[in-house]
Amino acid sequence: MNFIRTIMISIVVAASSPCFQNYSFGQESGDVKKEIQELKQMMEKMQQRITDLEERNSVLEKQAKEKEEVKENIVVKEETGIIPAAAPREPQGFLGRVAQALNPEISVVALITPAYYSLNNPVVFAENDPENTGVNMQEIEVGFQSVVDPYFRFDSFFSFRTEGVELEEAYATTLFSMPLNSQFRIGRARAKFGRINQIHRHAQNFVTLPIVNAEFLGEHLNPTSVEANFLVPAPWYLELSASGGSPDVETPTFQRSPDANNVGNLLYIFHMANFFEASDSLGVNLGASFATGSNASGPDERSNLYGVDFFAKYRPLENNPYQEVSVQSEFMWRQAETPEEELEDYGFYAEAIYRFAKRWNTGVRFDLTDTNTPITEEDDGEGDIEQAGLSDVVKQNAEAEEEEETLGLLGRAYRISPMLTFSPSEFSRIKLEYDYLNQDYGPNQHAVFLQFLYAIGAHGAHPY
Amino acid sequence: MKRHTILQRLTISVIFAVISMFFICGEAGAKVNIVTSIPDFASIAGEIGGDKVDVLSLAKGYQDPHFVDAKPIYVTRLNRADILVYNGLDLEVGWLPVLITGARNSNISTLNSEGNVDASVFITNILDLPTGPIDRSMGDVHPRGNPHYMLDPRNGIPVAKGIAAKLSEVDPENASYYEVNYEKFATLLNLKIKEWDEELAPYKGTEIVSYHKNLEYLSDWAGFKEVGFVEPKPGIPPTPSHVADLIKKMKSMDVKLVIASNYYPQKTGSLIADQTGAVFLSIPTQVEGQDGINTYIDLFDAIVGEITAALKDKTGAANHSLLDTDG
Repeated sequence: MNFIRTIMISIVVAASSPCFQNYSFGQESGDVKKEIQELKQMMEKMQQRITDLEERNSVLEKQAKEKEEVKENIVVKEETGIIPAAAPREPQGFLGRVAQALNPEISVVALITPAYYSLNNPVVFAENDPENTGVNMQEIEVGFQSVVDPYFRFDSFFSFRTEGVELEEAYATTLFSMPLNSQFRIGRARAKFGRINQIHRHAQNFVTLPIVNAEFLGEHLNPTSVEANFLVPAPWYLELSASGGSPDVETPTFQRSPDANNVGNLLYIFHMANFFEASDSLGVNLGASFATGSNASGPDERSNLYGVDFFAKYRPLENNPYQEVSVQSEFMWRQAETPEEELEDYGFYAEAIYRFAKRWNTGVRFDLTDTNTPITEEDDGEGDIEQAGLSDVVKQNAEAEEEEETLGLLGRAYRISPMLTFSPSEFSRIKLEYDYLNQDYGPNQHAVFLQFLYAIGAHGAHPY
Repeated sequence: MKRHTILQRLTISVIFAVISMFFICGEAGAKVNIVTSIPDFASIAGEIGGDKVDVLSLAKGYQDPHFVDAKPIYVTRLNRADILVYNGLDLEVGWLPVLITGARNSNISTLNSEGNVDASVFITNILDLPTGPIDRSMGDVHPRGNPHYMLDPRNGIPVAKGIAAKLSEVDPENASYYEVNYEKFATLLNLKIKEWDEELAPYKGTEIVSYHKNLEYLSDWAGFKEVGFVEPKPGIPPTPSHVADLIKKMKSMDVKLVIASNYYPQKTGSLIADQTGAVFLSIPTQVEGQDGINTYIDLFDAIVGEITAALKDKTGAANHSLLDTDG
């Protein structure tokens, strides 16, 4: 600004100078020379003035700066004068020092599950479901979380199992206000697809993952991606999310395309979340999701996954502070292209939970998945997975993928799971669950689980 | 393929609708928008801000502030906040941090943000600061001290002062207005505290049993002695053996009063009172905790009124029975 002003002033000054006013066209050559000389002189004068003005300016700026510094000092002094009145308390001993240190918050949650399956080769759908009759180390989740700086926070969760470690989540979240009320999550995160996919294992209501989640999303859909979330300024809660990223964790529905450089073959996920507060006691969530991406059965073969979710919770605050009833359901429909045919299948689950005392809850879940191209009649009686026409087709196309990672279902399976939970405190929990599984391509299965949960470290958030 | 085009059209129309919403609702109110975690702060902020502010509390007064559902709608409310006032000392640890992150609002998003006000920094006498090693075997412990400091009315003054200072900082044009309102509030509260002190004076040293460890500040101010808790450990519901022990203890000490916040279960407390001949009081412990309690001063009018009435009855009755036996 100062520089522009200097130029402006010098131009005005120059314009008002007499030599400029006497300037005229169409004179003889001597006149021209004279004029050139005059111009030269004028230029010199202007330059001088400019330097003069610049000097003056810098002096003024210096003075202003000095004044400001003095002011700041005063402000600082005033502030330090105020602080003792509201003195920050001295950190108390070791604990205080730990709390004050800039370490991230650390948490460990263990899920240890004795299980009994009625079948010798149990049918297990999700990776972190109890594997076998016996005592299963379902998952040890280790979390490190902290703000990064005034602009970001970072959350990371590692899932330890007997066979190894998975990077479950590691993502940054923007904290600052941005246009359109947007917020970005960058990194690997449980994708905003439906409801359960966003909830960590230890915070889920049942020991086993719903079949539809296991079959369509895998243990969880957690691509490494950039996700934009828009909070729409509506009278209710409305958030729109869009993410694009690499399906670097293989899921049954989405896998990295052989044509890896095609941006169109990445995994794109869209989600809409609504929350309505019907009353202080009743809240209703409604969501819709869509995901599309390569399924690796061919260079351009895609899967499209559609989902809707519903969750309602009734918690009468005034009379029974710790009683609540909640109902939750998700429905998913999948289209998958393979070089031979287009597969379609769907699945859903519905669960109801009743918390009848501060430390107790009970609930039941029904879940079902089905495909419209089931095992052919001839193969049906055998119940032999290897003979199933559909899985053969997919397997050939998926080029030597592991058996679990194939597209398509074998037919219809449903499961009924009642459970009872006791939480001695917020940090431990014991859950008893019975699963009855009925599948039209294999024998029925009974299973009983007794899941123990232990959480240490930072206090986690209560999921809604 | 047709399905795709319909979906695409739908998506586009939704996107347009949404974008238009951003513009419709984008107008900025001139008032300072204050959101508080619990209604006590909302009431005080309302008195200081007057008609220059909009105030809203997330939790309800009749709700246990430890266990508030992190309803997504709260994110929408925090998104528009200029100032967030919360209790701190881990009271809201289970539900507020996740909401603040979701709010995507630079005014409040970090501890260092201008509008992020942890009211506990205004309090100088935090009780129950752990002196030795602690862990969660002691129940739901708060390592940074007992968070229920708003139950000492004397703490209302520094909190009000802090809120006034913050308001002046955020909205300097009305600084003198906030200052005047603060003075008014502080003068009135000081007067009332004297009044309540006088009402409570005869009952100094009264032994009480409370449901949860949330009345420490009230007892500290009123001069009550908390000799037991209905909960065996903070946050853990009463067990039969603990209740039996407590009843024994209360009988031997002749405890006359069992108090519980009205957001806690009432059954066990009243049962214990019945068994021991004590009075059971279910009191509101937050503003709007009961119909008719609309301000911080209303709250203590109610608390002091109910406690003194109960103690008057009890000691009065005791005196009567003494007279009767003498007669």
